[in-house]
Amino acid sequence: MEPKTAIFYVLSAILVAASLRVITAKNPVHAVLFLVLGFFSAGGLWLTLQAEFLAIVLVVVYVGAVMVLFLFVVMMLHIDVERLREGFWSNLPVAIGVGLLMVFEMALVLTGRYFGADALPEPAAAAAGYSNTKEIGRVLFSDYVYPFELASVVLLVAIVAAVALTKRPGKDKKEQNVRKQTAVRSDERLRIVAMPSEKE
Amino acid sequence: MTAIAQYVKSLFLKELFQGMAVTLRHMFGHKITVQYPEERTPQSNRFRGLHALRRYPNGEERCIACKLCEAACPALAITIESAERDDGSRRTTRYDIDLLKCIFCGYCEEACPVDAIVLTRIFDYHGEKRSDLYYTKQMLLAVGDKNEAQIARDRQQDAAYR
Amino acid sequence: MLHQTVQSMFGPGAPLVWALLGIVGIILPLLLCVAYLTFWERKVLGWMQVRIGPNRVGPWGLLQPIADGLKLVFKEIIVPAKANSGLYIIGPAMAFATALAAWAVVPFADGYVVADIDAGVLYLLAMTSMGIYGVIISGWASNSKYAFFGAMRSAAQMVSYEIAMGLALICVLMVSASLNISEIVHGQARGYFAAHGAGILSWNWLPLLPMFVVYLISGLAETNRAPFDVVEGESEIVAGHMVEYSGMAYALFFLAEYANMILVATMTSIFFLGGWLSPVGFLPDGFPWLAGKACFVVFLFLWFRATFPRYRYDQIMRLGWKVFVPLCLVWMLVVGVWMMSPANIWK
Repeated sequence: MEPKTAIFYVLSAILVAASLRVITAKNPVHAVLFLVLGFFSAGGLWLTLQAEFLAIVLVVVYVGAVMVLFLFVVMMLHIDVERLREGFWSNLPVAIGVGLLMVFEMALVLTGRYFGADALPEPAAAAAGYSNTKEIGRVLFSDYVYPFELASVVLLVAIVAAVALTKRPGKDKKEQNVRKQTAVRSDERLRIVAMPSEKE
Repeated sequence: MTAIAQYVKSLFLKELFQGMAVTLRHMFGHKITVQYPEERTPQSNRFRGLHALRRYPNGEERCIACKLCEAACPALAITIESAERDDGSRRTTRYDIDLLKCIFCGYCEEACPVDAIVLTRIFDYHGEKRSDLYYTKQMLLAVGDKNEAQIARDRQQDAAYR
Repeated sequence: MLHQTVQSMFGPGAPLVWALLGIVGIILPLLLCVAYLTFWERKVLGWMQVRIGPNRVGPWGLLQPIADGLKLVFKEIIVPAKANSGLYIIGPAMAFATALAAWAVVPFADGYVVADIDAGVLYLLAMTSMGIYGVIISGWASNSKYAFFGAMRSAAQMVSYEIAMGLALICVLMVSASLNISEIVHGQARGYFAAHGAGILSWNWLPLLPMFVVYLISGLAETNRAPFDVVEGESEIVAGHMVEYSGMAYALFFLAEYANMILVATMTSIFFLGGWLSPVGFLPDGFPWLAGKACFVVFLFLWFRATFPRYRYDQIMRLGWKVFVPLCLVWMLVVGVWMMSPANIWK
């Protein structure tokens, strides 16, 4: 077996095991940490596909930032696992339906040869000095610049909405003005008065 | 105007650089550390350290078992038992100080009519068990015998103020 | 020569052996540096506080870090009864592993790097961002209020400053047009000033001065060093996420923090201070320059610690989001316009 194939199987095994634990772990914090492990292994898989930019961005964005915030929230929540399980049987038919659909879709991909998918041309081999990162940048900012900008505007709207929702003015709102605090000088806080000494 | 000055000051981190200049100056400045076992800071003759029981120059112990120190001790660290000696004088048969209870207030020394119990300059003693710091009469007398010259000199210097 | 010996001894496995040799060759000196950095820190802090610092163990106190290490090795690792014991052990290991893993892409001199990958900068960002997990996991697994507070604080702080750090690096990437760290250093040897014989001026620190400051300060915050050490602010939350740890488990956090410090100092030297490039033409480039620059930046860290009081938590957040991020965005625009204008000095 080629080393690359071995690496693929090891990473895939970790990924599948971690994903299974995400849905079976009793403790939500453990579930999130297994999801992190899953992302990390997925990043490794992408690396073997020579998509080093996407792989590392996956780790930076999802593992380094998004999952940290997830963990942040999950740690502070008190999740009652028993109550979550109440609706298990009523939701089971829907879940089975979705699961079967996914199995069907995966079967389509895996049995691609049967449907003649291998008739498609192989992707051209990368030329020497080919940079994955550079290519993605070029495509993103030329051919797909419009959807890219659109996506960024959508994200901006989300940010503005989040700020607007949380930063509502109210009369019992207490805020510190850090700029004012750091700019304070001694003569604004302290008044030295001259007064004659008193005699008894 | 002051707002602009403030802005420029904070933009160029003026105060941070001032602070760093201070620390850098001290880095190369004179160090004031006292390297303890080799160097020691000066001690007052009123220093209140380890206790000692004194003797008269003729070798007779000063303590007359009046128990004033025991009464004065706020920490109840002193335990005294007394008996009549063969020559008819009242003497202690037991004089114990629990140094773990003692707060080194010096009241015992103040209370003593014959300057028998004194606090010496010794502060660097230690014990490896709790019982090591339970000082008996013999141990206190030994401390006194060993440091009598220093003890006497310190009392002499302070006599004018008592 | 060594290369050929390895080749002949291990045949097809040679690249693997070579990589392992490289890893050992980095980690062992690094751990020694970490040990003596703790000693140097105590000395510098002592001097700045008009003290002498450790000087008893061995000549000039030089064996102090060894003694500290021995003490920690022989102490018992206590696992609290209600702690999540598996994660409790993983926490310090995560912190230490990520601190070491990042060194794989650090070039020590021209060509002396374990993994000369094209996305080196991204890998570095990925590894530093993974470092948070050590803190969060240990804080949560300790099942202690103070440890948990420390974990919360560090999560928010490190995520915030990573953004400022990344944005500051984007300016560097713009002017060097590469994600390969060795290329970034080579890029600093080119340009208008370098062509006119003043190589030191063409290093990124001058044209990107605001970014240099932002990167340095974000690096401080990212490694949880004073004045951004609210994560372990001993006056408020004792030692933060480390509060329940003892012995070698505690030592791992300690080693990770100092390894990260050296890493950030080295990266600052590489991105902004010209890496292994020599500041003057008549001396050759080489590793001593990088080491000297990194030592200088590490000294700055210690100097800051001796000088500044701890930031208040909301001020840290304000500095990150309301000062550094806008500053980086504006400077990114400035650099972009500058590069397109005739006054481009990076040609």
